Amino acid sequence: MALRMILGLVMTGLAFTVAGRRLAMLVRLGRVAQPVEPGRTRGGAARLRAELTEVLGQRKLLTWTVPGLAHVLAFWGFLVLGLTVIEGYGALFQRDFHLPLIGNQPWLGFLEDLFVVATLASVLIFAAIRIRHSPAREGRGSRFFGSHLDAAWLVLFMIFNVVWSLVLYRGAQINTGNFPYRSGAFVSEAVARLIRPLGATGNDVVETAGLLTALGILLLFLVLVVHSKHLHIFTAAGNVAFGRRPRALGALLPVYSAGKPVDFEDPGEHDRIGRASIEDFTWKGLLDFATCTECGRCQSQCPAWNTGKPLSPKSLVMDLRDHALAAAPYLLAGAKSRVDALAAAAAQTPLVGTDGVIHPDVLWSCTTCGACVEQCPVDIEHVDHIVDMRRYQVLMESSFPPEAGVLLRNLEHAGDPWGRGAGARTEWTAGLDFPVRTLDGDRLPDDVEYLFWVGCAGAFDDRAQRTSRAVAQLLHTAGVRFAVLGSGETCTGDPARRIGHEVLFQQLAAQNVETLDSAGVRRIVATCAHCFNTLANEYPQLGGNYEVLHHTQLLARLVADGRLTPVTPVDATVTYHDPCYLGRHNRIFTPPREILGNLPGVRLAEPERTREKSFCCGAGGARMWLDETLGTRINEKRTDELLETGPDMVAAACPYCVDMLADGVALRRQQGRAGTHVTVTDVAEILLRAVHDPAAPPTGADRPAPITADDPGRT
Amino acid sequence: MKIAVLIKYVPEATAAWRFAEDHTLDRDSVDGRLSELDEYAVEQAVRLVEAGSATEISYLTMGPARAVDAVRKALAMGGDRAVHVLDDALHGSDAVGTASVLAAALRRMEFDLVIFGMASTDAEMSVLPVMVADLLRLPAVANAVTLRVDGSALTAERETDDAIEEVVAPLPALVSVTDRSGEARYPSFKGIVAAKKKPVTTWSLSDLEIAPERVGTAGAATEVLAVRPSPPREAGTVIVDEGDAAVRLAEFLAANKLL
Ligand code: SF4
Ligand code: SF4
Repeated sequence: MALRMILGLVMTGLAFTVAGRRLAMLVRLGRVAQPVEPGRTRGGAARLRAELTEVLGQRKLLTWTVPGLAHVLAFWGFLVLGLTVIEGYGALFQRDFHLPLIGNQPWLGFLEDLFVVATLASVLIFAAIRIRHSPAREGRGSRFFGSHLDAAWLVLFMIFNVVWSLVLYRGAQINTGNFPYRSGAFVSEAVARLIRPLGATGNDVVETAGLLTALGILLLFLVLVVHSKHLHIFTAAGNVAFGRRPRALGALLPVYSAGKPVDFEDPGEHDRIGRASIEDFTWKGLLDFATCTECGRCQSQCPAWNTGKPLSPKSLVMDLRDHALAAAPYLLAGAKSRVDALAAAAAQTPLVGTDGVIHPDVLWSCTTCGACVEQCPVDIEHVDHIVDMRRYQVLMESSFPPEAGVLLRNLEHAGDPWGRGAGARTEWTAGLDFPVRTLDGDRLPDDVEYLFWVGCAGAFDDRAQRTSRAVAQLLHTAGVRFAVLGSGETCTGDPARRIGHEVLFQQLAAQNVETLDSAGVRRIVATCAHCFNTLANEYPQLGGNYEVLHHTQLLARLVADGRLTPVTPVDATVTYHDPCYLGRHNRIFTPPREILGNLPGVRLAEPERTREKSFCCGAGGARMWLDETLGTRINEKRTDELLETGPDMVAAACPYCVDMLADGVALRRQQGRAGTHVTVTDVAEILLRAVHDPAAPPTGADRPAPITADDPGRT
Repeated sequence: MKIAVLIKYVPEATAAWRFAEDHTLDRDSVDGRLSELDEYAVEQAVRLVEAGSATEISYLTMGPARAVDAVRKALAMGGDRAVHVLDDALHGSDAVGTASVLAAALRRMEFDLVIFGMASTDAEMSVLPVMVADLLRLPAVANAVTLRVDGSALTAERETDDAIEEVVAPLPALVSVTDRSGEARYPSFKGIVAAKKKPVTTWSLSDLEIAPERVGTAGAATEVLAVRPSPPREAGTVIVDEGDAAVRLAEFLAANKLL
């Protein structure tokens, strides 16, 4: 007994010292980082809900059925088996120790053994998954590509060892009469029967040896956990608790330095703008990096990674974590000169650069589609980190792909990415058979119900102009009183913000908020998913609060209310592509499907990746204006996914998606890989076709013109 | 070696320009910017400093009060200080008047090399570089694409239709650079903040000892009699392929004597 106690306590002391030192170092590292922006702790109810559903309920893990279930078994297994650890420590001091109150209940014994089996099952499933989807077999397609594979196997092996040593100890306890449960613990009982022949002394020895082995392995596991990706066992709950709610999508956060918003008009001497080095991240950022489980769910959905580009959100997070740990001795040292040369070198490696921690090709490949954030079971905020790193590169270093210079200059001087200027903003209305009311003077007339936010694409891009006209036509037909800002509109600032030019975003946004407020605008309808997102989610940051609808929402409502009646059969198989900024970022999945689903003759075909899992068209994150030279093209990959549904029409609800997919379909048609009849169009245009009565004489310029994908005029 | 760069504040090209009663551009009705072509001049100067060939850059501009925006933009790209010639009497100056003011200002500044953009993007006269050089009796190299300074001489390359000329001029000299001289940098926020602290000196006509009646509308040798908007562009011909597109395209080209 004494031996048991002494050995047990010594092992524990050792393991706690090693693990404790590591944890203390990690905490100190977190202290070096910047404070978080305000709001991370507000909204307790939403945070509690997230803990319940995402941590206890494992919601995001369960979106992948098999690995999700396996993780549920392991997670709950660990929680329940925590009780056996308490029992084990009790047994160090008192051989027949049991938990107070419920410690002798057969159901508890049963439950513990049930989760012994569950944990073992999860280990087996995880092993099978790792073998089946190993990078050796699947290459880049494997979600484990780039993860620390050896460490993962070691962890599985350790869990396996914990399980067998635990039941061995419990079985021996039954034979020596020290087991707290008279019945219920079916696995332990089976093991007991197996080792009964060892006799009383034998079982005595096995009991002590089993207990010490089980605790020893567990303690070793503890040390391993704090040194590996399995740290998420301790950090995940905290990471979810301090995550952005409801999710780190939609709006981007303003630039914060030391937890306070940066005033770009009069920046403080010591303001840190964006992330120049690892300690510029907030402690929540570092917690994100520490929490990554290397599961690769993010990587499996990332459009950049899936088209052979160097960016993997998983590798990005892992690289930042590895760098933080490598630089830690330097960052934490009092006397920097006495630090190990390797750590000092690591700390001085630039965060972004061809020789840096993150390669510029990685940084600029991101479309900010948010698939990674959506997938991540521990709520890591990849997009925010990527944009924060871009912010430093753009604002402080003026370092970005050269094409972006054209975009930024056009936005700055003409107020739109094309550089066309405000004067051309109403050209799209040419050919409509009714006048579009345009802001004239300061205020909109009181009878205007909606401001139609046309957007730069809607005003200048050929295909998007047709969508603008279709929406105007539909609103007009439905008797909605709407107006446009005309030359008073400028870019919402979305591409500037997402490329990292926060100053330009703030200028453009402030100008629009001023125009909208002085025009007395309350309700806005926008056709562009990016404009919609910025107006609805980001303008409130500048004090611009409007009720913003996407055109598919308004049109679906008008159809439901009977103000638009689809009469003409469309007779086509239509597949709908969820734009990232409409779907994933803003959870608008139903209205476009409602519109299409209610059209006579339309057969709606869902692509494999759809709704939350929709795959980016390649245009987001200002990528629309950057060259795509690495890997294959994202729009072609998405086009192929959509063509697999065998559509006659590909529908989207964002001008950039329509453009990207139309290019993709045009190419596939040229290559003979898509039928020549396949077209790409906005949902509104299909609705317009159906609403138009073929018996009535054509009125609008675009009606009933055929919709073709290879529209001239696209460069 | 010290460089003076001449810069101009011009109206945004994409904005609608309006003209005032006196047929001059109504500067208040339109946003302005640093002339795009002058950005190339700024860029060349900054590159010479970065290469260690020059030590200081001063900017010189003449224009309305808002022209200081263009000055700040240039200072955000690089350089040390600026001079802004500001005087109500300058309103309506023609090229000769402007050249005499700029020359007078340059005489009061220290420089070894003067760099101009090839033209302004508003008036597009491209005569000022040589006019100023003439007034200052400086050797002038117009429309250069590369600049090199070693010791006491400027070596510049000029692209002409059929050759690349290398021209060497003794310093002090004056040069204008084209838009093919190298992409102008995009100023960083760090640069913009730094620019706010750089000195901008304002000089009036009396500082330059120029009589008001010699410049502005009063001193202009030219007079604008009328201003008319350019006629709107006519819509082009769209050929829709009905099996004979190639033939009709050829006919169109032939009819316009392009074939
Ligand atoms: S936002 Fe999209 S493109 Fe960017 S890393 Fe995440 S999944 Fe990849
Ligand atoms: S970032 Fe999230 S989704 Fe990606 S590997 Fe890490 S834990 Fe998994």
